[in-house]
Amino acid sequence: MSRSNMIRILLGIEMILNAGNFVFIYFATQHAAMGVVDPLGQSIVFMSIVTGGCVVAVGLALIVNAYKHFKTVDSRELRRLRW
Amino acid sequence: MVIPTSIYYLFTPMLVILAGILAERAGSPKIRDIVAVAVSALGVVFVWTLYSALKAAPENILVFSLGGGPPLGASFEIDMMGIFMAFSTTILAFFATVYSYNYMEHDTRLTEYYTLLSALVVGMIGVAFAGDFFTLFIFWEMMGIASYALVSFRKSLWGPIEAGFKYMVMGSVGSTVLFFGIALVYGITGTLNFAQISTVIRGQPINLWYYLIFALFVVGFGVKTAIVPMHTWLPDAHPEAPSPISAMLSGILIETGLYALTRVIFILFEPSFFKVTVSVLAALTMTLGNMLALRQDDVKRMLAYSSIAQMGYMLIGVSTGLAYGLMGTLLHVLNHSLMKGLAFLSVGSVVHETGTRDIKRLNGVGKSMPFTSMAVIVSFLGLGGVPGTNGFVSKFILFNAALGADMLLLVILGVLNSALSMAYYLRVIMVLLSGEAEEGLTAKEAPLLMVGVTLVMAVLIIVLGLYPSPVVGIASKAAESLVDNLSMYIGVVMS
Repeated sequence: MSRSNMIRILLGIEMILNAGNFVFIYFATQHAAMGVVDPLGQSIVFMSIVTGGCVVAVGLALIVNAYKHFKTVDSRELRRLRW
Repeated sequence: MVIPTSIYYLFTPMLVILAGILAERAGSPKIRDIVAVAVSALGVVFVWTLYSALKAAPENILVFSLGGGPPLGASFEIDMMGIFMAFSTTILAFFATVYSYNYMEHDTRLTEYYTLLSALVVGMIGVAFAGDFFTLFIFWEMMGIASYALVSFRKSLWGPIEAGFKYMVMGSVGSTVLFFGIALVYGITGTLNFAQISTVIRGQPINLWYYLIFALFVVGFGVKTAIVPMHTWLPDAHPEAPSPISAMLSGILIETGLYALTRVIFILFEPSFFKVTVSVLAALTMTLGNMLALRQDDVKRMLAYSSIAQMGYMLIGVSTGLAYGLMGTLLHVLNHSLMKGLAFLSVGSVVHETGTRDIKRLNGVGKSMPFTSMAVIVSFLGLGGVPGTNGFVSKFILFNAALGADMLLLVILGVLNSALSMAYYLRVIMVLLSGEAEEGLTAKEAPLLMVGVTLVMAVLIIVLGLYPSPVVGIASKAAESLVDNLSMYIGVVMS
């Protein structure tokens, strides 16, 4: 997240999200009933993957447009809006 | 378990996109705009039918799930508080859509615009009606993604892209933090349903995990709510978005964040647990918001900072932990959605006609745009809390509730902040009405539909200011349904 490359920032967000997904999967195995992993924990992981994909799509579209305007993917250049 | 038919309103973004594509094929794109307006009007009807169903239901709660049981389907729990939020949302969405009809007519890609706008509205309604964290998270993300795209809708300019990227990064990190919080709650309780979680966690001795969960929820919801340490995206994103979207974001999106935060922390914890933290956040939010608004020359940016300050007032009501305080918060949500919506829409008309957002260049514009200026004045006086407007009523209740909860310091700070905020509202009013128009700045009255919308909203603000009792009644029932009747709520859901 501390990198200045916009695509790396996006990758960082995805990694944090995946960490969250793993937490859910772990807890789903902890709440297993009758030898079956709790489906609730798994279903929310699927939904979170889908929404994460949507966020990446929007983010990549923004990066493409930012590249058109600023001619760079360095987030330090996006500093024209202040106060 | 009866599923009300009107809940299928949540699928209407599909209808809008279909109508948009067909209308473009048929070569008459105006049909798409009319369909979008009709769909947003349908939203008000939808909330009204749900409200009547709710009044008829025993215990005033509707519990049902859509598409099967909990692991697969979305479960909804509609109570008075959710209805109140959905009502505020749909009313403002209707005004914003009608306003867009003229405001956006020079833009292209309007099918995407109306679809995203209706997805945003549906997302907010879904958050208001969610009965478990699963549903809440999905609609939360839907609302977030639609708003990221809408903020950077005018992609040919650099401002919206920069603001949109900043908002996207902060918003999605916020959602991820929220997701971690949900994961911890799930780990402790083994369920995602609000009522079942409440029976497990509420009233237990506080341990370290609960502090962590509370912190994760405050940060996760707080990013969209623009509570002060997490507010930095707001003053960029709100001014750069098209004006109807600014009105939606400022008027109701950040309040939806506050609603979700309020609902979750009231369900999980006793009020004594979060009282101090929330009141400190309230004080910080309103003071910093007002201070920074004072030094803005961009009128939309000033309004964005004023939204942060207004969030501070709303947090006062949450921090009291009383039904009366929460009633003030809910009332201020409705009133603020009207006032800030009107402020952004009417200022949007001024910006639309003059082409500038700089306060210093708007001298004397009021003379050539009398009706719009009147709307601006009403909304700014309302935001400042002048008696006779609805802003006064809800602020009075908020400060009164804080007095009742022995939080004198917060009340003093709030009143001082109100006085401070008048300084920048009056500055804009003064500039609009006095002086001669700048050379080369031609302004004429905005198109009829835009003026009509702003005038209707201005009338609503004054009517609710002079005769607030019907809304106060509903808000009070809504607050009681969360604070005082929590055990009844749990009982209905569990049975």
